[in-house]
Amino acid sequence: MTLRPLSPVSVLTACLVALVACGDAGSDAAAPGATGAVARTADFCGPAMDAVAAYQAEVAGSPNMPGPAERYGGTAVVGGIGELQGGMNSLVSALHETSQTQIFVNLMTLVQVDENLEPVPYLAESWEVSDDATSLTFTLRDDVRWHDGEATDAEDVAFTFTRANDPETGFPNAAFFDNYTGVEVVDARTVRFGMTPHADFMDPWRAVAIMPEHLLGEVPASELALHPYGLECPVGNGPFVFASHRPQESWTFTANPDFPVGLGGRPYVDRYLYRVVPEPTTLLTDLLTETLDVYINPPPNQAAQIVAEEGVDLLAYEWRGFTFVAWNSRRPQLADARVRRALTLGTNRAEIVDALLVGYGRVANSSVPPFHWAHASSLADVDGFDPNEARRLLDEAGWVDRDGDGVRENEDGVRLSIEMKYNEGNQVRQDVGEIMQAQLGQIGVELQPTVVEISTLIEQMTTSRDFDAVTIGWVTELKVDDTDLFSSNRSEEPWAFSGTNNPELDRILATLQTVVDREEALPLWQEYQEVLNDEHPYTFLFYPQRLAGVSGRMNGVEMDVRGDWLSAKDWWIDPAERRQR
Amino acid sequence: MTRYLLRRLLGAIPLVLGVATVVFFVIQLAPGDPANLVLSPGMDEAVIEQTRENLGLNDPLPVQYVKWLGSLAQGDLGYSLNQRRPVAAVIGDALPNTLLLSALALGIAFLVGIGVGVVQAVRPYSVPDSVLSVVALFFYSMPSFWLALMLILVFSYLARNVWELPIWFPSSGIRSSDFDLMSPGEQLVDRVRHMVLPVTALWLVLAAGVARYTRGSLLEVVGQDYVRTARAKGLPERTVILKHALRNALIPVVTLLGLYLPVLFSGTVFIETIFAWPGMGKTIFDAIGARDYPVVMASSLIFAGMVVVGNLIADLLYALVDPRIRYE
Amino acid sequence: MSEAALTRTSRSPLWWLPGGALLRVGRWHLGVPVLTTWVFAVLLVVVRARRIPDVWFAGVDGKLAVLTLGLTVGGLLVWAWSDPSGRRSLLDRRWHPAARSFQRNHMAVVGAWIVFAAYLLAVLAPLLAPYGPNVQGDLLQVRLLAPSGSHPLGTDHLARDVLSRLLYGARVSLSIGFIAVAISASLGTVVGAVAGYFGGWVDSVLMRTVDVVISFPRLILLITIIAVFEPSIFLIVAVLGLTQWPGTARLVRGEVLSLREREFIQAAEALGFARARILARHLIPNALVPVIVAATLGIGNTIVLEAGLSFLGLGVQPPTPSWGTMVADGRNYLLTGEWWLSTFPGLAIVLVVVAFNLMGDGLRDALDPRMRKG
Repeated sequence: MTLRPLSPVSVLTACLVALVACGDAGSDAAAPGATGAVARTADFCGPAMDAVAAYQAEVAGSPNMPGPAERYGGTAVVGGIGELQGGMNSLVSALHETSQTQIFVNLMTLVQVDENLEPVPYLAESWEVSDDATSLTFTLRDDVRWHDGEATDAEDVAFTFTRANDPETGFPNAAFFDNYTGVEVVDARTVRFGMTPHADFMDPWRAVAIMPEHLLGEVPASELALHPYGLECPVGNGPFVFASHRPQESWTFTANPDFPVGLGGRPYVDRYLYRVVPEPTTLLTDLLTETLDVYINPPPNQAAQIVAEEGVDLLAYEWRGFTFVAWNSRRPQLADARVRRALTLGTNRAEIVDALLVGYGRVANSSVPPFHWAHASSLADVDGFDPNEARRLLDEAGWVDRDGDGVRENEDGVRLSIEMKYNEGNQVRQDVGEIMQAQLGQIGVELQPTVVEISTLIEQMTTSRDFDAVTIGWVTELKVDDTDLFSSNRSEEPWAFSGTNNPELDRILATLQTVVDREEALPLWQEYQEVLNDEHPYTFLFYPQRLAGVSGRMNGVEMDVRGDWLSAKDWWIDPAERRQR
Repeated sequence: MTRYLLRRLLGAIPLVLGVATVVFFVIQLAPGDPANLVLSPGMDEAVIEQTRENLGLNDPLPVQYVKWLGSLAQGDLGYSLNQRRPVAAVIGDALPNTLLLSALALGIAFLVGIGVGVVQAVRPYSVPDSVLSVVALFFYSMPSFWLALMLILVFSYLARNVWELPIWFPSSGIRSSDFDLMSPGEQLVDRVRHMVLPVTALWLVLAAGVARYTRGSLLEVVGQDYVRTARAKGLPERTVILKHALRNALIPVVTLLGLYLPVLFSGTVFIETIFAWPGMGKTIFDAIGARDYPVVMASSLIFAGMVVVGNLIADLLYALVDPRIRYE
Repeated sequence: MSEAALTRTSRSPLWWLPGGALLRVGRWHLGVPVLTTWVFAVLLVVVRARRIPDVWFAGVDGKLAVLTLGLTVGGLLVWAWSDPSGRRSLLDRRWHPAARSFQRNHMAVVGAWIVFAAYLLAVLAPLLAPYGPNVQGDLLQVRLLAPSGSHPLGTDHLARDVLSRLLYGARVSLSIGFIAVAISASLGTVVGAVAGYFGGWVDSVLMRTVDVVISFPRLILLITIIAVFEPSIFLIVAVLGLTQWPGTARLVRGEVLSLREREFIQAAEALGFARARILARHLIPNALVPVIVAATLGIGNTIVLEAGLSFLGLGVQPPTPSWGTMVADGRNYLLTGEWWLSTFPGLAIVLVVVAFNLMGDGLRDALDPRMRKG
């Protein structure tokens, strides 16, 4: 599956992995794995960090600094609302913010993508696909070294792939590699993957950071999650070297003088800091008082203030997320596609976008976000706010207010009453609930928003299916695959919570992932999105833009659908504008 | 004295354990299966079963409780599932920050509170008395998170960006981002600047209570015979109040110390969240949200333990200010 | 003749106005609020005349509001007519000296009137509020409007009228405070009285329990319980009530311990009354003074605490307004210019909690003979 639930869910995944690992370590109930982990921290982190310090001291004298000299120096401080859960271990972390820091700051991926989202070389200098699309061969750069001086080689890539595919690791995005069949290390710089032909097979290599085999190779898969590497002593190979992590407070990275000239050499800023500040108002104050240089993901209501303030800019960019209401079609009230569509028609989504997102977003009608090449723009304007049409559809489906209480009933007397769950701590979803409650009340639907603690909510959605409707969001990868969500073949699987059962959708979903050629796939994607809209398992609400507040003294800050820290190594601060030291 | 201390500390053990027991059962009685709360959907049945086994969830509740007590007795606080490091390390990082914040807030609250209370008691029911009462009550009645945000608005944002004052205070964290690069002197200044707002948000609330209590206590004492005698001797009012009355009036005020600790620790949950202060309040709140039970349990124990110690200190101070009391 | 003349001249021309007579004899602290309340109520009847039938048929809340309004208008008039001299009436000097003492404490009287006004406004909310608490205006036109004629306290981020939500929120916040404290005061009184009266192991067990609960930061206990179960208004009230009793229990126990030794209890015991009867009829009523004071202060604290829970996302759940949730939700707009979202409910909390505290202090001073002011 190529979907990642929005942040809180991912936190959970991290916990789960920890627990499984604890089990295998065989420690007692009250303190799973504690003693083992303490020992590992001392045994592993000490030597690892010593090696990093030694090598960094060695290369500090001859840094790769090809850029204009005056750009080098200064500290960039980034602030966000949450801790980077899971840390710099790409095999076990699932949080979007964490993976951003992995792939752009501390670690490297095989490829990156350009503005057209086409793969470009990064750790891999080149790659080759066999004509029948069954094998993919990467040739790695020869000048990328881990921060402790070891060369990054094909073994590291193979190790990352193998561990990610090992169910004991608990890799959160295992479906990435569903169509991969194996890996072979050809030589130190060459690694070959076998696969069955499938769409967008390069995407995993943009998203999954390569991990150091020389350090973690001996660690059993089941212990990776509990391993101190990620949170206490990551040894990366990317543009920034890990310096310190104060839990719930900050992460500090320093520029890697050894970063290959071919990739731009040493980053301009000396230090990159990520600070955890849990309260949005405090974050905004920090940005405005120049305590922070970059404030990632402010709520939309703060956008105007950021725009208005002198010396601070707002970046707003397309993103890969969308927010929706999933309807549980197993429920009698929601079994009929006409009812589900009526609920969409009765909701003024354009107004929601204007009011809650202050315009930073647009109405969604499909699970394929606008950035994606297969996004069906023909659907942009369907199902606009039309309460009369909604009422007609509900009448037609047999839901009429029979007892005059303002709420419709069907022939059996079932009330059109829906409990809509959302997770704690998400203001926009809470507001969506209140708005929909008011608007759907106008068409005779009783909607009751209910807040549920996130882990309980996930359990109710995925396991017990104890919900009528749920407001939630996905963050897609660049590759979109909805099989787990809507294919009836997987209706017992966790993510098929809408209970969709539509043979036509099944057919298209089965074919979609096997068509490698985009031009050939495009009409199929169009058809898919139309059929999906007819079936209407979700009310797609909106594609939000992602926002960032950036201090005016920061130069070279670029963010787009590819990622938040896309240009972190190219950020620079004019010497006069730097902090005192 | 030592024996008294020992006796008190030993006597506190059942109390602390009682707190831990309450927290343990509250958590364990939560609806839903804790295994589901931490497992990812769609995992293998065997893995789920294994996890339940490892978490000890298949044991009856009393067995789980005894096991937990057992590892506690061995000094093992457990392992944080969320932060993936020993609970002892989690608390080791957070506790000093909270202690610093609380101790300062408590100290200032008592100083200011007693001062204000004395001023009020000197001329009770006068206009200054009423004004001070209302001002103190005003801060006491504000939801502390709101007070904290107001402080940030005024002393951080408005002071720096709008009024462009030379002095303003940072709104978050315990140190600047370039703290590591500063000289020791600058580091000290930096730490102090970061402490101003959170400490203020805490003491403002507490001082109101201290002032009210001091005022009441002092008024009661002032009515007593020995104070009248002192006045009758023609001593100046200042001397009467400060030398004769205050010392006795402070005796009950000292007991507030014990009463205020729980209030203070509750306050840290808000203050630490708003000011991004990595302390115990924030830690326990996050842990409850993430259902990181080992951390919740351990933090509860620590809080209860600190309250016990606080009460003990209050009692010792009591002996210090009240010559009639001697601890055997 | 002379008698009649005397009576007539001693009446002010405004004797029929509730509070008018009180003003004339210089009892301002009683007269002004009574008069204000009455005038306010009459105005409300006039202005909202057309809405009254709708509100009456809208449900229990509405009926309560209309009844209260009727009682306020009529009751005060009847009372004024029954006491044209303004010298009898409430808080007569024949009453307990505590009442006199309380009256002399102007701050406490002001506090009491504010509390009274807050409860009155809360009950009358359906008649007073210009809009429903959850009625959303046009999201694009009416959203985040600054205070103005049509929305005296502005509108919030979902285009709802802040004044209306504030009035309806008062019901939630004040009821939470009242009910939670009622729970804790009753529980605390019973536990404290039982512990104090029976002594022995009963006392030990109960008081050790009190020690445990009292030595734990209450907020953390609240968070644990509410976060683990799902937040609902009933859970919040119950948990707030069930965590506050130990303080009361200690107070009552102390009182009962000293009362137990008094003659009238000894006498009751000698007469062979059942212990439960002694407890319920003689001990508890006489130990209630500190409970009343503690409860008054407790309501204020509970309202503040509810606000704190809302900040942590564990308060009253939307769309139901409470002052706490309004401040907490509005805080995101503090820095961005829409100050009215959190400021008005915040001030409402401060005003009412200060009032409860002033009233509580006044009650304490008045009920404690040693503190009674000359």
